[in-house]
Amino acid sequence: MNCDELRDHYDLYALGIAEEPERTEIRAHLDRGCEVCMAGVRDSLRVAALIGASAEQTQPSAQLRRRILASIGAEDQTVAPSTVQPRPGWLPGWAAALALAALAIIAVYFAVNSRQYAREAAQLRREAAQLREQATVLSEAGARLRGQLRDQTAEVARLTQALAIISGPRTAEASFGGGQPRPPQGKVFVNPARGVLFIASNLPRTAADRIYEMWLIPKGKGAKPIPAGLFQSQANGNALHIRPGTVDIASTAAIAVTLENRAGAAQPTSTPFIVAPLAATPR
Amino acid sequence: MLPLVLAAYTAPEERALITRLQQRDPQALAELYDRYGRLAYSLVLRIVRDSAIAEDLVQETFLRVWNRVHSIDSDKGAIGSWLLAIARNRALDYLRSSAGRERNAVKLDETDHAPLYGQMEAEILISDQARRVKAAMGKLAPNYRTVMELAYFEGLSQSEMSARLGQPLGTIKTWVRAALQSLRDELGAAVSP
Repeated sequence: MNCDELRDHYDLYALGIAEEPERTEIRAHLDRGCEVCMAGVRDSLRVAALIGASAEQTQPSAQLRRRILASIGAEDQTVAPSTVQPRPGWLPGWAAALALAALAIIAVYFAVNSRQYAREAAQLRREAAQLREQATVLSEAGARLRGQLRDQTAEVARLTQALAIISGPRTAEASFGGGQPRPPQGKVFVNPARGVLFIASNLPRTAADRIYEMWLIPKGKGAKPIPAGLFQSQANGNALHIRPGTVDIASTAAIAVTLENRAGAAQPTSTPFIVAPLAATPR
Repeated sequence: MLPLVLAAYTAPEERALITRLQQRDPQALAELYDRYGRLAYSLVLRIVRDSAIAEDLVQETFLRVWNRVHSIDSDKGAIGSWLLAIARNRALDYLRSSAGRERNAVKLDETDHAPLYGQMEAEILISDQARRVKAAMGKLAPNYRTVMELAYFEGLSQSEMSARLGQPLGTIKTWVRAALQSLRDELGAAVSP
């Protein structure tokens, strides 16, 4: 799909509720650095961020800041140590001396223990941070697996869609590239209700800033080609591209492919290097 | 009532903060919390509606930012929107797992597309814009507001909203689009690039 077709789905994508095939298409455009889609999705993410910021403001507990810093093994330095104000002396000399001695013993006791507690607390914080890091790593592995599952699910959906076009009633079929040494070759299936399926092999590798674009070529002199989506070939030169939706086979002369800039074009900018003329009647 | 100040920081300040986070300066994490802690907590609390769980999830959010801050481009400098996206995903994941349901809505993976957040303006979350969104949400027709809240704060897909509200899927899609358009109309330049 080209960027124009995806434009209306950027907001849904940013909210996480875009549906297939648009979600996968937008993701693919972003993955290959499509400037148009990146700008569009970035704009939609602004809206999403603002919706999040509109939640009623509530103050978390004071401990949260300390917990977060402790989880990376850091101290919260904003909490000032408590200070003990000296009080005027009022005890007799011997009692004061005794009290001071007792305090000194208690202070030594707590100093020794507090150092021990501090060491243990630091150790616990380090262990907690390590556990959290491990949890993060596991969580990310899970996210990767979920991502792979999503990709596979999307691929299955795409192949199901392709099969529906091939096996659909009134599907027209055309071939291209036969009889030459090593040209791009393949087939096109067009179903009036389900869309166009393009399958090719031996496609040359495109430059980083180029992409293949499929076109429906209407009958009649001067009729403008209709954009039918962008696609890339795989590393082995194979490609499978689907343009879902209805197609008026009677008024379509051929399916063609050109090489365009990454954002695609509204009209072909070069002579199509693949042209598959449609038969007058479906098989 | 929405407070007047949420998080208003200039791009240079934000850039410097990201750089310090990338250099593993713990004090930078403290400052990041001071800037966005309440914002993230409020969002997560709105989603999970339990203060203890919300604090746990916010802690996880900041730890994740600390561990993944290198994926943000410090040249552009805007970490708040990314942090909020992480917080939202954490909260929605919790909501889904605690409810024992698969989430049909597919979340936008904030790690995959971190550069998109890094290229936003640091000022995106300033109080005035957030207040305008709050006002704009308030002005939405009740059915429009409901679908926006279900989508954003509960992570429901359009099909799930259809089942929850007992409305045809097509109606839900129309409401979602109309709600988003109304928000954009109300916000005007606030969300323009």
